[in-house]
Amino acid sequence: MKQNPYAGLKKVILASMNLVPLVPFVSVLGIGYYYFTDSLENNTIASIQRIVHDHRQMIESFLMERKADLEFILNTSAFEDLSRPDKLNRTFGSLQKESSAFVDLGIFDENGLHVAYHGPYQLSGKVYDQAPWFKAVVKNGFYISDVFLGYREVPHFVIAVAKINQGRRWVIRATIDTQIFNDLVKKVHIGKTGEAYLLDAEGVFQTERRSGGPLMRKDPDRPKYGPVHDGIKTFIDSDAHGKPFLYATTWLKDGSWLLVVRQEKADAFKALHQASYLIVFISVLGGAIIVPVALFLTSLIIRRMERMDYEKDLLGEQLIRAGRLAEIGEMASGFAHEINNPLQIIKSEYALVEMILADLKERGELKQSEDLAELEDSIDQIKLQVDRCADITQAILQFGRKEESVTKDIELRTFIPEVVVMVANKAGVHGITIKQEISDQNSDVHGDLRHLQQVLVNLLNNAIDAVIARHGSSGGAIWIESGPAENGQVEIKIRDNGSGISSENLKKVFTPFFTTKPVGKGTGLGLSVCYGIIDKMGGGMAVASQENVGSTFTIRLPVAK
Amino acid sequence: METMKIMLVDDEERFLSTTLKLLTKKGIDAVTAASGAEALEKLNHKHIHVVILDVKMPGMDGNETLKEIKKRFPLVEVIMLTGHATVESAIDGLKSGATDYLMKPTEIDELIAKAREAFQKRLQLEEKIHMAQSRKYMKSPREILKEAEKPER
Repeated sequence: MKQNPYAGLKKVILASMNLVPLVPFVSVLGIGYYYFTDSLENNTIASIQRIVHDHRQMIESFLMERKADLEFILNTSAFEDLSRPDKLNRTFGSLQKESSAFVDLGIFDENGLHVAYHGPYQLSGKVYDQAPWFKAVVKNGFYISDVFLGYREVPHFVIAVAKINQGRRWVIRATIDTQIFNDLVKKVHIGKTGEAYLLDAEGVFQTERRSGGPLMRKDPDRPKYGPVHDGIKTFIDSDAHGKPFLYATTWLKDGSWLLVVRQEKADAFKALHQASYLIVFISVLGGAIIVPVALFLTSLIIRRMERMDYEKDLLGEQLIRAGRLAEIGEMASGFAHEINNPLQIIKSEYALVEMILADLKERGELKQSEDLAELEDSIDQIKLQVDRCADITQAILQFGRKEESVTKDIELRTFIPEVVVMVANKAGVHGITIKQEISDQNSDVHGDLRHLQQVLVNLLNNAIDAVIARHGSSGGAIWIESGPAENGQVEIKIRDNGSGISSENLKKVFTPFFTTKPVGKGTGLGLSVCYGIIDKMGGGMAVASQENVGSTFTIRLPVAK
Repeated sequence: METMKIMLVDDEERFLSTTLKLLTKKGIDAVTAASGAEALEKLNHKHIHVVILDVKMPGMDGNETLKEIKKRFPLVEVIMLTGHATVESAIDGLKSGATDYLMKPTEIDELIAKAREAFQKRLQLEEKIHMAQSRKYMKSPREILKEAEKPER
């Protein structure tokens, strides 16, 4: 197997066909993906930050409002009034109208004694001067506790505000319903898994976490949130269960509570994942289309080129063969010419012999005998055979001569029999009869006699070959008919009872270089040249054939004017 | 009446000798030449009416010889003898002044017939010339005398 000359080219075409679409394709996808993810990440992070920010403001304003509620009571009521249970009762009532988050209300004097209390527990009379919240409220003027269990064993937190009034320091303290506060903080919903919760500085849940994390339990993820910081911090990290989350945190209440808003990373960047899947899908699909298409086109191109190469080679071969044929033709006419000289001599010698014999007989020097008769017969044979040779050389010269294309009117009535004579010998040898039916009112056609001769000889030779292929050396017949046709045309029909042409080949018979003959036997040019000649004469050529029945070639030519 | 004298020009010696014998036997006065040069040489000395000239010869070929003959001896009739069946080469000869052409191999009788035709043509031509000269003679004997000084051929 010889090296494919197109192997290198094939690689180049294949590579370019793959790379040229793939490079922009992948680039577009890559760049699109990059900017999309970038913007989506920024959006997601910005939105979670905004949520944290808004939520902090809401929580802070809730706390500040509750604090303001208490301060309002401090400023509008006297300690003595509030120490009275009925008054306190009324005050609590109005406070509850302000916010249902208040659970109870207590009044303390400067020594931390619980002077009056309104609420579900019996707490008055207790002294809180050593309690940290009391110390803090005395020191800072107000206090908001972490969530704690306290005496009640129920999670709660308190807001306390201190006031110095008429030389006396007193404190008002309210407990906040953790349930209401809890709901307030918890109400954030982002996507499926987004949630918000509060932790104290130690990481204890101040509000419930929707995904699990009851009040007062310590959040195992506390170390991830880091120390107290200003503003909002966002980060992605795995929680204790190993699930990655997008976190946004901010500290409030002067660094004692941490607001955490978090969403599962997969949920937060869901669109991103979807985009990724889509991009992967498109890439795979694109690749799956581009690569086979490139392969297909490459092999198509290479096959075309190989075919063209093959045809070029074939054409070259045919040209060489045609050239050789032309050379042989020329040589043949040269030989024929040379043979005419000895033929002339033989003919002269014959004439002389004949004359001398006649003289001898006349003078009575030769007696009639069997030998003499035989001699005369033999001499006659010489003349006959020389004439036959002369016919052959004439035919060769007639056919092989070179000349300019000279067009003239051709009388088919005489022309066709002349052409038939050229092939009659060959046909006769194979037992083929050629029947001529030439109409008397046959008209002339105009063209190059030699060319039309070539066409008819070619068709007759083909017919002879086809007949030999089917019948061997007996039973073959060829009909050549000629007569007027419609539209001022004449028709020449050459019909044979030979092997015929398959319907598949029938379409190609006039194609140059198409031949069914073995290599070296036929050029495949004959019929295409015939077609060209007839076409040039303004006529047309058609073929009808049936395998193992015969073929009919029909030529139509315009009548000469 | 003048008898026909023909010259056969061909490079084939055997053709010349056999044909000469045949022509002689048929009572025709003939000479042969084996080349164009020889033919021209012989025409200088001999009175020939018709030349039968082979087209294809080594050295000076038939067409060249024909031109030369027509130049030097315009009244000599020439019949081209061609081995080539092309009408074209014969036409070339006819254009150069040949009277007729014959195709090899040719019958001796055909050859003689064509030669006779050519000879008749030659005779007619001579007749015309003779008539013209007669008329001249009637007009100006002096001119005829002048003409007579020139060689006839």
